[in-house]
Amino acid sequence: MSRPHAAPGRRSRGLYALTAVMALGAVAMVAPFVWMLLTSLKSPSELTEFSWLPDQLRFQNYTEALTAAPFARYFLNTAVLTIGQTALTLLFATSAGYALACTPIRGRKALNAFVVILIMVPFYAILIPEFLVVKSIPLFGGNSITGQGGIGWLNSWWGLIIPHAIAPIYIFLARQFFVSLPEELAEAARVDGLSEYGIFFRIMLPLIKPAVITVAVFQIGAAWNSFLWPLLITRDDSLRPIQVGLAIFSQDPLNVQWAYLMAGATLAVLPMIALFIAAQRYFIEGMASAGLKG
Amino acid sequence: MTAIKTEVAGRTAAPPPRAPRRRAQGLQGSRKRAGWVMLAPALVHAAVFLLLPMVMLVALSFTDYQFLGAYHWVGIDNFVQLMSDDRWRTALLNTVLYTVVTVPIAMAVALLIALGLNSGIRARGAMRVLYYMPQVTATVAVATVWLWIYQPDVGLANSVLGLFGLPPQGWLTNPNLSLPSLMLVGVWQGLGAKMVVYLAALQSVSRDQLEAAQLDGANRWQTFWNVTWPALGPAHFFVFVTSTIASFQVFDLVFVMTKGGPGSSSTVMTYEIYENAFQGLQLGYAAAQSVVLVVLIGVFTLIGLRLQKVSSDV
Repeated sequence: MSRPHAAPGRRSRGLYALTAVMALGAVAMVAPFVWMLLTSLKSPSELTEFSWLPDQLRFQNYTEALTAAPFARYFLNTAVLTIGQTALTLLFATSAGYALACTPIRGRKALNAFVVILIMVPFYAILIPEFLVVKSIPLFGGNSITGQGGIGWLNSWWGLIIPHAIAPIYIFLARQFFVSLPEELAEAARVDGLSEYGIFFRIMLPLIKPAVITVAVFQIGAAWNSFLWPLLITRDDSLRPIQVGLAIFSQDPLNVQWAYLMAGATLAVLPMIALFIAAQRYFIEGMASAGLKG
Repeated sequence: MTAIKTEVAGRTAAPPPRAPRRRAQGLQGSRKRAGWVMLAPALVHAAVFLLLPMVMLVALSFTDYQFLGAYHWVGIDNFVQLMSDDRWRTALLNTVLYTVVTVPIAMAVALLIALGLNSGIRARGAMRVLYYMPQVTATVAVATVWLWIYQPDVGLANSVLGLFGLPPQGWLTNPNLSLPSLMLVGVWQGLGAKMVVYLAALQSVSRDQLEAAQLDGANRWQTFWNVTWPALGPAHFFVFVTSTIASFQVFDLVFVMTKGGPGSSSTVMTYEIYENAFQGLQLGYAAAQSVVLVVLIGVFTLIGLRLQKVSSDV
């Protein structure tokens, strides 16, 4: 943390001015959220013309929004999707990171370079073949053993959760942390007769807890906010996550019910803002360390 | 850390007696096996959902695959057709324009914010949270909010213009304004992550060098250009590459706010790919467009690498 290095006085006045400017900028940054919140509490008649503040705080917009569209179901789906992806990522990305960092497998360097290259694969570019792969998963969704004839993992929890879990960036992140641990630790545990899995789960994984939390918060954010993939592969409201639900609700061409839409949007962003405030350190350190190491 | 070390010392002090040699080799083998077991799920996953799609993408781009029915190899026909596709050309130009405008502006603003937050002002922590907030919220959700803000009659944007005596604008309905309106949201949402990277970089600038520069009588501007700026090289590179890759893949904003319209005025590459593949079912053609997207992202990443080299050579 840098502190002002000059003498107080003239400089402190400049500092106040700077603080004011920065605060103004910060308010501008969150103004859209404030506007969203205010709109979500206005009555429909207030929304036919412009007004700054709601006449009265109409909290029933929220309960009404939940019946105007199956938002409750969408939220549940998002929760399942988020928990599923995060569990997969935490288990398999950290174990892969450990294998790359701490086990004597052959071709470790090449495999690591491979993971780094995979980080660069742009999701939007491989959308089409990924869709076809998911459609052709053998023996699912009416598919034959060769992956023909059915819909595979389309419109299923499998397809919703699995393809976008365990992103290579998380493997890489975990590996970076495992590499920095002293080798003697695992060595000592090995001498004690602990298996490699025991060493991973009981000794090494707890030691990189900050990295695990960082991976978790980024994966939770990515899953909670994911849109295009769920939009493509889900057909039923019983599977659609909240972002897809919001987008569909906002596209109703006849009359968008703005108060309800803003209520839905508020509910959709609130958990992420709460998570961010609670786990700030991990969001920020994760971003920062990725930026400086990468 | 010290607690860990003493624990290790305690353990190594009394190793249980074991047969050393043969066991060591068996151990090596079992460690290898364990390594592969732990790596396998992630490797298989990456092979099926990343590597295989990459290979398929290239293959598909040389076919006329349309989802149903037979398909044929058409060589480079798709790419030839792309050259004369006006809508695609607009999408490509819009995407490049979106990137070339938003990335430098957002980088500059984010750096200014980081400098401001790093200068010893009050309530830094709270402000950092506020500046970062748009970054953690879903693009779809904030896009619906901006859709409402940009509404012509009742939107906040026109009312704010009205405060300054400016005429109302058709933010999303005026073809000349639709793309810039999206850019504004893009810059706004992306500031947080860039700011955080810059903040971390600023805090790692050498204290001694800053003080030495001040002792030498350098003013703040000179100190910034000669000490701080050169130290920001890696941060610039990271921010440039990640935000370029992200802005080439802008989609959610376009989908929710404009659907690429009016006309094709705000369409982008990803939106065209989506439309052609999943609305028009021209999967082969859309795959060719995706290949162009990959190549462009690669080119811009290389430009970033080159810039990084040049700036670190100086």
